[in-house]
Amino acid sequence: MSFWVFEVRRIRIVEAYVGEYAAGKSEVAVNRALELAREGEPATLVDLDTVEPCYTLRPLQEELGAAGIHVVAWETRRTLGLGEAGSVLKAEARWALRRPGHVVFDVGYGVGGAKALNLVEGVEHERWFNVLAVINASRPLTATVEGIVAHVRDLGPVHGLINNTHLGSETTAAVVQAGAALVAAAGRSLGIPVVATTAPAAVAAEIGPYDPAAHPVRPLRRFMPRAFW
Amino acid sequence: MSGAVMAEKRVFMTGNEVVAWAAVAARADVMYGYPITPQNEVMHYWTRLAPKHGKIFLQTEDELSAGFATIGGVLAGKKCFTATAGPGNVLMQEPVSMAEMMRLPVVVVVMQRGGPSTATVIYSQQEVTLTTFGGNGEGFRVVYSTAGLQELYDHTIKAFNTAWRYRFPVFVLADGYQAKMREPLTVYDPVERGIEPVAPEPYVGRPGKPGADRPPGHYRNTYNTEEELYAVVLEQAAEYERVAPEIVEHEESGAEGAAVLVVAHGVVARAAKQAVELLRAEGLKAGYFRPVTLRPLPAEALRTAAGRAGRLLVVESAYGQFARLVRDALYGLTVDVVPLYKPGLGITAEEIASRCRELAASSARTE
Repeated sequence: MSFWVFEVRRIRIVEAYVGEYAAGKSEVAVNRALELAREGEPATLVDLDTVEPCYTLRPLQEELGAAGIHVVAWETRRTLGLGEAGSVLKAEARWALRRPGHVVFDVGYGVGGAKALNLVEGVEHERWFNVLAVINASRPLTATVEGIVAHVRDLGPVHGLINNTHLGSETTAAVVQAGAALVAAAGRSLGIPVVATTAPAAVAAEIGPYDPAAHPVRPLRRFMPRAFW
Repeated sequence: MSGAVMAEKRVFMTGNEVVAWAAVAARADVMYGYPITPQNEVMHYWTRLAPKHGKIFLQTEDELSAGFATIGGVLAGKKCFTATAGPGNVLMQEPVSMAEMMRLPVVVVVMQRGGPSTATVIYSQQEVTLTTFGGNGEGFRVVYSTAGLQELYDHTIKAFNTAWRYRFPVFVLADGYQAKMREPLTVYDPVERGIEPVAPEPYVGRPGKPGADRPPGHYRNTYNTEEELYAVVLEQAAEYERVAPEIVEHEESGAEGAAVLVVAHGVVARAAKQAVELLRAEGLKAGYFRPVTLRPLPAEALRTAAGRAGRLLVVESAYGQFARLVRDALYGLTVDVVPLYKPGLGITAEEIASRCRELAASSARTE
């Protein structure tokens, strides 16, 4: 018994958040990294967007660092003179799996971006590696079960879905829950579990710890309104 | 398929995606394009939507080719458009000049980036001069400057109708921030709202013998004599001036008796509007004027508003390109025009508000 508990506590979480362009990957990934950091283990957040590197996380880096996360992302001053530095992978991102503790990858730029995971050393040997597809059913191309299924199949290997259905500042519990039903149906069709529903803190409180489709609800602190986009 | 895009619905999108959906809603047939940041996702989303809606996409070898291919498609009777930015917009000026000379409807979406040359990939308002007056000769065109994703949807649809109704090239001028930013908007089928898309007609290859069964379709961009060109330019100018009042658009609030009238366009106008609301809540007499069409410019409305204001603060993410249009419209008025230029940088409501407070304080001292 004690042995089992010891093992559970030592399991590290390695997750990559992928999904449609502007599905909410960065918001979900940042919040997940914060959640893990709060539990006391070291947590690393890697910006693996090679098309629009560091645009989302750039203005938040210091704040996230202060909250106990090790952020691997380009800093503005390091990219001066590189012009369109889209193809430059930070060495630290390539070797991120060598870091101790939990590692969360924010894999930017839609289906094309998801291929960047291949650039991370040791991905194929990472025992606990989970690729999670973030779905916002208010995005027209993932607004139907068929649309979500087709999109997730394009992403490559995916182990779980996150229902991140929202309408920005207009998000309500009804919007989130309508998305939960669609994402749940897509998950059944794909044979992939829905790991969580995410919602802005106030909406999450209204829904409670589980949404009507029985997905655990993760409250989100909104960082992206202060990001580049 | 020419039917409905989707039922009216509140959605969450990025600006580039909005353009692609709006073009489908406007019954566009073909997009010709060449990649350049920050407009790439217009093409990405169009290529994802095209097969589902029976549309076509062709990636050409550069923007010159994209522009001329757009003209070719239009001549063949298809509703065609392209999207570009920065140096791509420079190249696009030659085909657009040809469309001006031949009086052809084309739609060009521009997501402004920093310049000169390649400069920065995301944001500026530095393509105003190029987009409003970038052609050689004195061609006539329409330029809508949008300020948010709902407008981007509405005005992209409108751009197609303006182009095909009046047969002038039409630009939708936005910027990298609008291209990349995300916000909720309502998408709809224009037909359901009573906006009937103007149907395109072929300009070439029509049935019948030219000159006998029908007038010849003589679309020229070359004239042998100065007198011929002179007559054509004057005719085009007269036609443009006749239809301009039907096209021109602006937005204003609190301009009447404003101590400071903030004049801005595009995404900066959002900050200007917010700043003015902030200032009015503080009791400062601030007003707001925003041309939606940069060409034709709402010159009369602007002169009226400016004539009633103490001072004008012209705000733009460029070094005076928009201000040049404003000053030209105000010629002869004695109103003081103060600049707030931040070429290639975003401008916040707070920056505009604090400049207005300084101006109000300095006028109070001189009074």
